[in-house]
Amino acid sequence: MAYSDKVLDHYSNPRNVGSMDKSSNEVGTGLVGAPECGDVMKLQIKVNPQTNIIEDAKFKTFGCGSAIASSSLATEWVKGKTVDEALQIKNTEIVKELALPPVKIHCSVLAEDAIRAAIHDWKAKQGAAKPVAVETK
Amino acid sequence: MVIDTSKTISAPASGDTTASCWSCGDMRAAHFCHACGKVQPPLPVNYFSFFGLPRKLNVDVLRLERDFYELSRKLHPDLNARADKREQEWSLEQSSLLNDAYRTLKDPIKRTQYLLRLEGVELEEQSKTATEKARASGEVKKQIVPPDLLEEVFELNMQLEELRMNKKMGEHDPALVKDLEAHKAQFEKKYEELAEELKGHWNRWDQAVDRNNGDERRGALDSMVDLLNRRSYIRNLVRDVNEALGN
Repeated sequence: MAYSDKVLDHYSNPRNVGSMDKSSNEVGTGLVGAPECGDVMKLQIKVNPQTNIIEDAKFKTFGCGSAIASSSLATEWVKGKTVDEALQIKNTEIVKELALPPVKIHCSVLAEDAIRAAIHDWKAKQGAAKPVAVETK
Repeated sequence: MVIDTSKTISAPASGDTTASCWSCGDMRAAHFCHACGKVQPPLPVNYFSFFGLPRKLNVDVLRLERDFYELSRKLHPDLNARADKREQEWSLEQSSLLNDAYRTLKDPIKRTQYLLRLEGVELEEQSKTATEKARASGEVKKQIVPPDLLEEVFELNMQLEELRMNKKMGEHDPALVKDLEAHKAQFEKKYEELAEELKGHWNRWDQAVDRNNGDERRGALDSMVDLLNRRSYIRNLVRDVNEALGN
């Protein structure tokens, strides 16, 4: 199966690879996996507590080219968005952007899961820090 | 998880009991006419009913093997070489069905996976549906693989990457190799323990089938999906470690 140019581009030049301090209050971490293929994906976001804007995002994915490209793209897309905007990202948009074939759709699902998990983690931290203040609606 | 329970065990164990033999018109048994012994055309049966078994997971493998050898002899295309042309074809089709059914049912994991498929469990569909649900409700999706296992898988992958990088640079880090070996041993142990755990789920499933308890059945299917997911994770990981260590 041939990868699309966009997948190849993200695969050979992945954006935002790395990690951030998991214990920081401004950082949300999402760790998700696709057992069918053994992939595991970690996506982290750093959120400005005043604006709720995602200022930085990092990822590290062990998996196929499509999984790496999906998470690389996800970090690009969430940056500069508010957490609520980032929650609107759908896996189908990733599929479209990367021209993923049907057998690789689960990679995009994984990336969406990772975004949601990271935001959930961040929100939970805000809830623990200041119970009422951050209701991001 | 959405499981289609409409097509579960209520299907007759063998749907061909009421058909009549194409040759003599008598009622026929599963694979041969019990009256004249001619090979019958294969029916769209599942592998369980092919062997006349209920859709249960505890299978007497010795009996299965006996049945397999007996049927292979009787259905062998060579034996029916002088038979009616149609019968020859059916014998060929039945033989290949027999082989597939036997290979699937004798293996505990393949048998379990096959049952899940029969019960309409599609892992990927499930994951997609769960993501869509999470998106709609704003809840975070429950990961199929437990978080601590994910964490371990991630960590081990990090170490593997380091090892591969070392190799590339021509460096050797004995402490890292030792660490990896130890991790691998742990995962292999976990892998073995899964076989025992699976038997527990089989029993739950078989009992639920006997009692015709839909909730219990669904619960057992869920547990098996969960187990197979963990299993494939661990299997891939051990394979990767072996590759990286050059075993």
